[in-house]
Amino acid sequence: MQNKRLFAYALMLPCAAFITLFLLIPMFATFISTVTGTGAFSLDGYWQTLADTYFQQVFWRTIRLSLITVAICILLGFPAAYYVARVAKKKSLFIAMTLFPLMTSPVVRSFSWMVLLGKKGTANTLLQSLGIISSPIPMLYNEFSIVVGLVQLFLPLMIISTVGVMENIDEDLMLASNSLGASRTTSFWRIMFPLSVPGLITGSVLVFCGSLTAYTTPQLLGGSDTRMLATLIYQDGLSLNDWTAASVVAIIMIVIAVVATLLIGKLARKVNPAAA
Amino acid sequence: MALLELKDVTAGYGDNMILKHYNIAIEKGKLVSLLGPSGCGKTTTLRLIAGFSEPRTGEVLFDGKNITRTPPNKRNFGFVFQSYALFPHMTIFDNVAYGLKMRSVGKAEIAKRVPEMLETVDLEGLEKRYPRELSGGQRQRVALARALVIKPDLLLMDEPLSNLDAKLRVKMRVEIRRIQQELGITTIYVTHDQEECFAISDEVAIMNNGVIEQMDDPQRIYQHPKTEFVMNFVGFDNRIELVCEDGFWKAKDGTKIEAAETLDAPEALAYLRSDDVELASWGTQAKNSVPGTIDVKTYLGRRYQYNITTPLGTLVARVEDGSGKVGDKVTLVLPPERMALIRKPQH
Repeated sequence: MQNKRLFAYALMLPCAAFITLFLLIPMFATFISTVTGTGAFSLDGYWQTLADTYFQQVFWRTIRLSLITVAICILLGFPAAYYVARVAKKKSLFIAMTLFPLMTSPVVRSFSWMVLLGKKGTANTLLQSLGIISSPIPMLYNEFSIVVGLVQLFLPLMIISTVGVMENIDEDLMLASNSLGASRTTSFWRIMFPLSVPGLITGSVLVFCGSLTAYTTPQLLGGSDTRMLATLIYQDGLSLNDWTAASVVAIIMIVIAVVATLLIGKLARKVNPAAA
Repeated sequence: MALLELKDVTAGYGDNMILKHYNIAIEKGKLVSLLGPSGCGKTTTLRLIAGFSEPRTGEVLFDGKNITRTPPNKRNFGFVFQSYALFPHMTIFDNVAYGLKMRSVGKAEIAKRVPEMLETVDLEGLEKRYPRELSGGQRQRVALARALVIKPDLLLMDEPLSNLDAKLRVKMRVEIRRIQQELGITTIYVTHDQEECFAISDEVAIMNNGVIEQMDDPQRIYQHPKTEFVMNFVGFDNRIELVCEDGFWKAKDGTKIEAAETLDAPEALAYLRSDDVELASWGTQAKNSVPGTIDVKTYLGRRYQYNITTPLGTLVARVEDGSGKVGDKVTLVLPPERMALIRKPQH
């Protein structure tokens, strides 16, 4: 029996070694570098960064845009998930359509948005020709285009995690509610929706963390005045050569992501005590 | 007048019609069971009555009124699902109170009726628990309480005991019957378990392939089955083809077979329970004695089952005597008063 245990550990070893070597050790080394800049252990690097007004701007913008992305993904994702899980006849087709954005390169995606949202792009041209606006509105290289890009990228995650949960809800529950006197609509809000919330919460965690740490989308679709945390790291590191500052921001970003995941998890258990 | 009627109903899924020109009438206050093998249409019928699906043609009448197009939430029928379908995110109290809330019953009254109903089903004290904390038997009773507390006009039960172990099934069926008779509530009960069905029903409709083969009280179905299917279903496992010659019944090989029942037909099928077949030593002369050789011997605990090859075909006997061995020559005696006759169906 001991052999089985050892065998299991042995199977895990390559993967564990890979993660330790290429993820945990570099993260740890990064952390060390942020607290030993001037020889002795000090958190000065962090205090300095957190006090910096430019950093604060970028920080709050990142949080704000991530939350907006989550909100939009919930509003768009929930009805879509309901359709795919309960109404659609050709489920696999719709799931493929949902996952499609993830299968294209982020660079290709972003360039497509540039074509659509630019001053001389499709959207502006169409709105002008319909007489809705008289001159082109800036839809690119601002917060709007970043959110559009993030939603396109992360909406599939919200949909898939919600569909998974919805598919596991026993159909008889809705019929039971019906038989007890509840209309279809009431049954939906009292039964289907509360039981789907775990899916929305899992999706929200994925969307929030993804948006928080997103690089390509803000880099390609954002402007120089709309930096997010990841692009700030890039700027500090590669443009300004200030690797210490970059490392500090990176560690802060990781901490925020972990805290957010834990908080949302706690909230999830409160909302739906039936969720395991 | 019947409380619930299905008239000329054709229903099914997609292109597959399970019920064709189906008719049934349920009388007030009775517990009527729909009994049959998987796929016979009993659950389809029940769900139709509940309003979860609509028939292609035909009508559903309740107390004389046509409710075919009435949605389930307007029918006031209590439904107990095989899987119980308890709301996992609500406490037991909220589960049972759900139907009352939907009927805008006041908080004070709900606070009175829910504990009362939980007491009736023997579940006091569990109001604040969640379904996942309860055992199978307890969940079953919550499902029952939830359906009954709304004082429904009809109680519909879809194999409610299938997921319970044998001992619990026997205990629960007695409870269900007791509550049903106490409240006098008309109940339609779907099951595939013959013993359970016969133990609690006022009337049984045996269904096969979307038709009712026979609808009667349990005793009459058990003692006087009217069709081949019902015969097989209630345990008549020996089948003998007979022709009428010179006023007597004769089997394939010419043996004269006497039956206590009379039937006026040129051809018939005689059915006999394996429990009623008598095993005698080789060469015994008696009414309906048939020679044979033991083919298979099976130990059943209380009795032994012998499959015996005879000139009339393979016959099955269940007796307490275990001395027979495979290959032995025996004489079977078929008691005339235990034989059931039906006309030979023209296929």
